Amino acid sequence: MNFNFRILPVILAGLALITGGQLQAQSKYTINGYVKDQSNGEALIGATVYIRQAATGTVTNVYGFYSLTLDPGTYTVEFSYLGYQSIEQEVVLDKNIRIDLELPLVAAQLTEVVVEADRDRENNVQSVEMSTNKLDIATIKKIPAFLGETDVLKSIQLLPGVSTVGEGASGFNVRGGSVGQNLILLDEAPVYNSSHLLGFFSVFNPDAVKDTKLYKGAIPSRYGGRLASLLDVRMKDGNNKKYEVTGGIGTIFSRLAVEGPIVKEKGSFIVAGRRSYADILARPFVELLQDGGALNFYDLTLKANYTLNAKNRVYASGYFGRDNFMFDANQGFDWGNSTATLRWNHLFNDRMFANVSAVFSNYDYALAFGEDDLDKFKWSSNIQNYMVKPEVTYFINSDNELSFGGEFTKYIFEPANALGVSDGAAIDISLPEKNTIEAAVYIGNSQKINSAIAVEYGLRYSYFGLFGAGTLYTYDNSTPGESKEVIATETFGRGEKMQTYDNLEPRLALKVQMNQRSSVKASYNRMVQYLHLISNTTASNPLDVWTPSTNNIEPELADQFTVGYFRDFGSNQDYEASIETYYRDTQNQIDYIDGAEILLNENLEADLLIGSGRAYGVELFVKKNSGKLNGWVSYTVGRTELQVEGINRGQWYPTRFDQTHNLKIAAFYDINKRWSLSSDFVFITGTPTTFPTSRYVVQGIVVPHNTNDSRNNVRIPSYHRLDLSARMEGRQFKRNGKERKFKDYWVFSVYNLYARRNPFSIYFSQQDVRTQPGTPTTTQATQLSIIGTIVPSVSYNFKF
Amino acid sequence: MNRILYILFGIMFLFTACEDIIDPTLEDAEPIIVFDAWISDTPGPQEIRIMLSQPYFDNTLPPGVQGATVQVTDNLGVVYDFFEDLTAPGVYRWTPALPDETLGHVGRTYTLSALVGGETFESITTMERTTPIDSITFTFDEGNSFMEDSYIGEVWARDSIGSGDAYWIKTWKNGELLSKPSEINLAYDAGFSSGGEFDGVYFIYPIRTGINPFDQDENDVFLSPYMPGDSVYVEIHSLSDAAFSFLSQVIIQTDRPGGFGELFATPLANVPTNVVNTNSNGTPAVGFFNVASVSGMGKKFVE
Repeated sequence: MNFNFRILPVILAGLALITGGQLQAQSKYTINGYVKDQSNGEALIGATVYIRQAATGTVTNVYGFYSLTLDPGTYTVEFSYLGYQSIEQEVVLDKNIRIDLELPLVAAQLTEVVVEADRDRENNVQSVEMSTNKLDIATIKKIPAFLGETDVLKSIQLLPGVSTVGEGASGFNVRGGSVGQNLILLDEAPVYNSSHLLGFFSVFNPDAVKDTKLYKGAIPSRYGGRLASLLDVRMKDGNNKKYEVTGGIGTIFSRLAVEGPIVKEKGSFIVAGRRSYADILARPFVELLQDGGALNFYDLTLKANYTLNAKNRVYASGYFGRDNFMFDANQGFDWGNSTATLRWNHLFNDRMFANVSAVFSNYDYALAFGEDDLDKFKWSSNIQNYMVKPEVTYFINSDNELSFGGEFTKYIFEPANALGVSDGAAIDISLPEKNTIEAAVYIGNSQKINSAIAVEYGLRYSYFGLFGAGTLYTYDNSTPGESKEVIATETFGRGEKMQTYDNLEPRLALKVQMNQRSSVKASYNRMVQYLHLISNTTASNPLDVWTPSTNNIEPELADQFTVGYFRDFGSNQDYEASIETYYRDTQNQIDYIDGAEILLNENLEADLLIGSGRAYGVELFVKKNSGKLNGWVSYTVGRTELQVEGINRGQWYPTRFDQTHNLKIAAFYDINKRWSLSSDFVFITGTPTTFPTSRYVVQGIVVPHNTNDSRNNVRIPSYHRLDLSARMEGRQFKRNGKERKFKDYWVFSVYNLYARRNPFSIYFSQQDVRTQPGTPTTTQATQLSIIGTIVPSVSYNFKF
Repeated sequence: MNRILYILFGIMFLFTACEDIIDPTLEDAEPIIVFDAWISDTPGPQEIRIMLSQPYFDNTLPPGVQGATVQVTDNLGVVYDFFEDLTAPGVYRWTPALPDETLGHVGRTYTLSALVGGETFESITTMERTTPIDSITFTFDEGNSFMEDSYIGEVWARDSIGSGDAYWIKTWKNGELLSKPSEINLAYDAGFSSGGEFDGVYFIYPIRTGINPFDQDENDVFLSPYMPGDSVYVEIHSLSDAAFSFLSQVIIQTDRPGGFGELFATPLANVPTNVVNTNSNGTPAVGFFNVASVSGMGKKFVE
């Protein structure tokens, strides 16, 4: 394996340049430490640490760590985090100081009134960050959910620029990107299929999730590998003060989580599980389920951490989930993700924070059919990752935060381990395994130039290699739009280099503060994607295949530009608003020939077409953070198109997930201490689809035909839906006035309140009858709604 | 492959998804010429139909194209003339001169040429080999909540040795052709598609049992495909590679799973054709030309 490290010296030189001037600045001192939740010891991500006298500050990183380097002096340090009481501390800075702090939650009765004007210094307006949305689990739990089950991905879909092609579709689309162009990380492990039960529920157990952050643009150099977005899901560390049990009983599944200290204040764990139980309840009534059939899903999320000393902390986290659709013991379909992450946080010194993660991730699915051992078909497929990821943050001074690191991933693709048996004769129809390596090094700096201007700039160098054993095919490309003929093959031995690519990915973000309440931001980023999700169905589904770049499939590239205006308003600055525009130009986008065979096809690449894409739009977001009534409105107008030779006469056409208008409203209202209401409304323009113009008859079958050779020439009707939910807290106090340790609440929710039959697709077919020769056949169009009715549900949740 | 999934998901979820028949407005389009030219070496006359396409919701018989000159020629120069049936517009028929004369020989190349309204259309194909049917059997399957007690038919035929054979297995139950899009039963060698590499063995189980009509009663319970006393007749037609690919795509476009199966369905697209206008700027055509060799077997089911 020979690596191309030509870029490394450049990065090191850059590092020396940026840091060189700072290293002598010995007259300064550092305040650092961790900010945590007082009630359970959970690290607070993104808590603000603000120095009033110096008018500067920072935010805690994903492990709750902060570091600020200042001139000697006496300062007031304010620690704050939304939903928590702020704490101020006087500090005489004449040496390096460590302050580990725990913030108390704002008491329940205060939430309605208390809003500190300057509670969140690094907020909407002040931060360099743009095109990102953070959702903490408290907000996610308030959003009315399908069948009453709180869901991370369904909540993400209420944010600007995020949409889905319909109920039951796996995944989500960001700013006109495909489902496969999102990188979903669960404690840094990539998750290849984020859905349970096709697309109805996401794989993340809300009881074990602490924080989610979606990057749609201005993506820092630390992240790469997908074009459209990055969803960073961080799991809870577990309560390190006391044992706690949380759980819920819902319509579809039940959840239970246990967390507690391993060694008090030093280490903790959390174990959280969910299982659907429709099949258990139905077993006595349905014969199929007694014969070993199954229709269920479950997942288990585990995490433990231990603080070795003031400088070292280790974490281990894991996820295991599976969906089963079994006809009987031998026939059916199942899929699931499993991930494992080991992390080590290390403080090299007061200003240098490092983390090394070792990650394993696996996604697999299996299909099996067969009457008996003489006639059966078994097929399984998987993608495995082994990843090492060192990251260092160097808090140079209060104006510069330098981060650098790398990422090294080995992927093994097994597209098909398949065996067919016909009347006892077994035939192995497996496809060869593919071995690839993806590696990257990056450097980035977040710099405050003056009180108004801040920049974040970085560079990522990524490398991709496809290694043997394997075969590379060369195709005849002369007739676009048709399956290509193989004209040459080249075979490689085990470990031999077959194809490599490398790319430089510059990232840049700029903030110019107009005044305390408004700022303008702009960004540019280049993203490169070496793995491709192959899916030519109406919606993404669990059988979709991931495939690496080859000589025929070049890495996908995206250049995204964004400009935005950010403003806070209201008497207490309790409203935040933003308007952002984006333009993304993409290259090497994949589409499919008509009738492409994407499963079990050794010559898959012969059925792929490569083209370019563009996506652009405007996103509006207004959010009210406090008060009895709070929530947000998000509106996106956008377009996403592809141009591929051989499709739509070579003209631009809208992608399957081009949805012009995308309006989401989420509102939460606290009636009193016991009751609260929440509601959301969704309006999305119908997805594009292809309608036929004509029909013709061949061998008695009526074939639909589009004489104009159009792709996605019409749209299905718009999607809109209103959901409502009410939450009733259980009694919080005992008769004697003491607070109960056992807390519980009920959630009553109604999905699709006005029972709209939202279309998922419209399909054209002939009537399902046997036509006799000489009689005409009737053709019709059918509009399908996946959930065409009102869905009420109840869930009971508890904690003790 | 997808067909099995459709069944799986169709059954599991049909009761929750809901469907409405709608009447959307479609773009206008000029009619184009359609060739339905599937001829074979079965005894008796062979027919080729030339028709016009219709607007998608036009539920009448397709208009036939009259006055065309239609000929099929093989690579040894043998000419088969197809004469217009003046009572059935659009039908062109070759009638054997001798009672035991059939059309076509395995391995020969056939060229269809048709002069329609001053334009010449051409198509070339090869007659491929078929494979004989060993037997037809029936097995009893105990019913469940989705299905009555059933007799399932199975056609036993072995793919010819050597990969690249394609077949269309046509079934008549009590004289009625199973003609729904979901009943098009294709085999590539002994499996579903060319990547499968099932070669020289019996057709795989779903193909062997592809001769069963799965009809439902008013409660959506599947009825037994065959009952004692029923007769079944099966023919195996050889297909060119292109014809196999054409029919595979016809299945994708016409056998719509409905319900949750639509999550796994591919969007609408045009199916290919092997009929070309010799003038590339002339009117395009659609449809297909295949010359099949055919084997067949019939059986009456007695318990």
